[in-house]
Parts: sequence; C-alpha cells; structure tokens
Amino acid sequence: MEAYLALLRECQDIPTAAQIAARAGISTRLIFERFVDLQSLSLATADYAFAMAKSQAIVHDAEGERPARIRSHVETRAETCEGWLPLWRVLVANQARLPQLRTRLGIFRQAVMQRIELMYAPELGTLPALDRRDLLIALEALIDFESWARMREGHGLSREDACQVWIRMIDRLLPPTPQEARP
Amino acid sequence: MTANNAEAAGGAAERRTLRIDGRRLRSERTKQLIIEAYLALAEENSPHVPTAAEIAQRAGYSVRSIFERFVDIRALQVAATDYALVQAAALAPLRDGDGDRRTRIRSQVEVRARTCERWLPLWRSLVVNQHESEELKRRVTISRERTVARLEQMYAPELSTLSDLERRQTLIVLEALTDVDSWERMRKHFDLSFDEASAVWRQAIDRLLPPTPPPNPA
Repeated sequence: MEAYLALLRECQDIPTAAQIAARAGISTRLIFERFVDLQSLSLATADYAFAMAKSQAIVHDAEGERPARIRSHVETRAETCEGWLPLWRVLVANQARLPQLRTRLGIFRQAVMQRIELMYAPELGTLPALDRRDLLIALEALIDFESWARMREGHGLSREDACQVWIRMIDRLLPPTPQEARP
Repeated sequence: MTANNAEAAGGAAERRTLRIDGRRLRSERTKQLIIEAYLALAEENSPHVPTAAEIAQRAGYSVRSIFERFVDIRALQVAATDYALVQAAALAPLRDGDGDRRTRIRSQVEVRARTCERWLPLWRSLVVNQHESEELKRRVTISRERTVARLEQMYAPELSTLSDLERRQTLIVLEALTDVDSWERMRKHFDLSFDEASAVWRQAIDRLLPPTPPPNPA
C-alpha cells in the first residue's frame, strides 16, 4: 500500500499492478495473493491513507478561546491538505470508476465536518438548526483541499499566508462567541 | 480580353469563390458538430475523455474527418472547452450590478448557481484532465479569473472598503466558496435542492462581505 501511495503522489493516476510490484520490490503474484484485484487494493489503500491522515490530525485547543481554536484548526487542516492533496485528487478523479471510492470520500468529508463542529461548538451552538447546517457546509467548502490548492498553486501564497486567509475568513463566517463560552 | 470574356471570367471566379465558401462552411459545420459530439460525450461520461471512435460515431463522421480538423484529441478538447466557455459567459449575463446588497447577492448567486448546474460534468472533466495539458490548465485559470471579475463587479461597494490585502483574501475565498466543486458537494453529497444550496451561498457571502458603505451623496 505504501508503494501504491508513493506512485499515486508521483503520477496522479491509479498505478498498474506491475508498477506497484516494481516499486514495492515484490512480484505481481504476491499482490494478488493479498488483494482480490486492483480495485480492492485501491480501496484498502484509501482506508489506510484515511487512517494515517486522521492520526496526524490531532485535536488541539478545542477548549481554547476563539482565536486559539481557529488557528489550531486551520493549522491542522492545512497540514492535512498539504500532505494529502495529490491522493485526494486521484480519489476524486476516480470516484466514477470505483463507486466505493465515493462512499469513502463521503466519510472523509463527514470527518471534516465533525472536526468543524467540535472546534466551533460554542459559536455553532448559538444558531438555529438550519443556519447551523448551512454554515457547516460553507465552512467545509472554505477549507476544502482544492481551496487550499488554489491559494498555494493558483495564487502562489505561502503556507502561512494561506493559513491567514482561512483564519480571517472563518472568523468572519462564525457568529459571535457566546459570553458563557469565553474562558 | 473583351467585355464578354471579362464578364465570363468574373462569373467563373465568383462561382469558384462560392464553391470554396460552401466547402469552408460545410467544413466549419462538421467541426462544430464534432465539438458538440465531444461535449455531449464528455458530459455523459465525465470525467472520462471520449475516444476518437466514440466522438466520430456520435457526430456521424469518420475518425479521419476528426483528425482532418483537429491535430489530436487534446486539440479538440481545447476547442470544445473554448466553445463551452463562450457559451457559459453568454448564459451568465451581468444583472442587478447597481442593486442593493441583498439584490446583488441574490442575483450573483442565482447566475453562478445556474452556471454550475449546467456545466458541472464538463467542468469536472476539465479539472480532472487539466494536469495533462498546459492549455487546459490555462482555461481553468481563465474561467476562475472570470468568476473573480464578476465578484469584483457585483460586490464593488463592499470590497472598496477593504485594504488591498483584505480585498484579495476576500476574493480568493468568495471564488473558492462559489466554485463548481462547492456546488457539486451541496447538490450531490449534502443532497440540497437548488434553492437550499443557493441559500447556503447567499448566507456565506453575506457573512464574508464587510458592511455596505453608505452611497456617495450626489
């Protein structure tokens, strides 16, 4: 799976069994002894990558004050986007070819939403259910992989400048922090 | 040359020109039909790029006639993208640019949402395949620049109150927020209706924009 991931990062396309075998230094036969087909290897790799990304994105400052929570959330998310953007692009591009990937992408997005809910619970708690849902969707769009890619690749922003954009805009999108939530 | 001969020669030249014009017209028509076949297939099978055989079959021409008009599939893809960009621009006229804040947000979101709804599959195909061609990448950039230009027009009063840096940051985010990907997620992943998805954008834009300055006294 690590050979598969390395090839994905380099080629931005699903590698062949021969390429994976060559990179891993094993025979093609060995791959198919462990995975029924390339599709199940792809899905297992997506799950493996998701578990890795999740373990790297540790929650910090969830109980902190608003600026600390925003900064911490943005820095963690930026780290994920920076590290996993090539893989994300391949998954998105191939979701039509591998329908199970679509389910995985949905799970990834759900995890992003849950993190937003956790980090901004005090502010989101002040909103009616519908406004809360709409704001969550907007925040998820704001901190999407391609939004990060646009700032870094399209606008040539440094990592810190790109983080600043997200920090400022999340602060604008969120409603005021309720008094009782302020430490 | 007598007057009659000259007249006859002139007539023949005119007929030749007409014949050439007719041939050119037919060739252009064929080219157009090939582009339309490509767009239809790209939309149906997004993000898969259709093969020459598929395009030829859909357009009702031979594979050879495709390559008589386009150097390769990539050239056809670029021509089709240009055609789609022109169409998208024509279908998204500027409206209510002088309206109040609420009207401008509503109008901009509605036009943008319709563009995303209409061009989503093609855009997905373009974005996925842009990494294989600098020309396609350039088209993606052009399209995004147009979106930014429209945002600048529609929210000129509010953006004028910001510093250059804040203005730039706001535009980057407004463009990302109202991107086709964002629309696709709302419609397909979050299963929102057209109106619900539009409401998400309206609310977010309203929060992201600074207060509207009072109008200048005449």
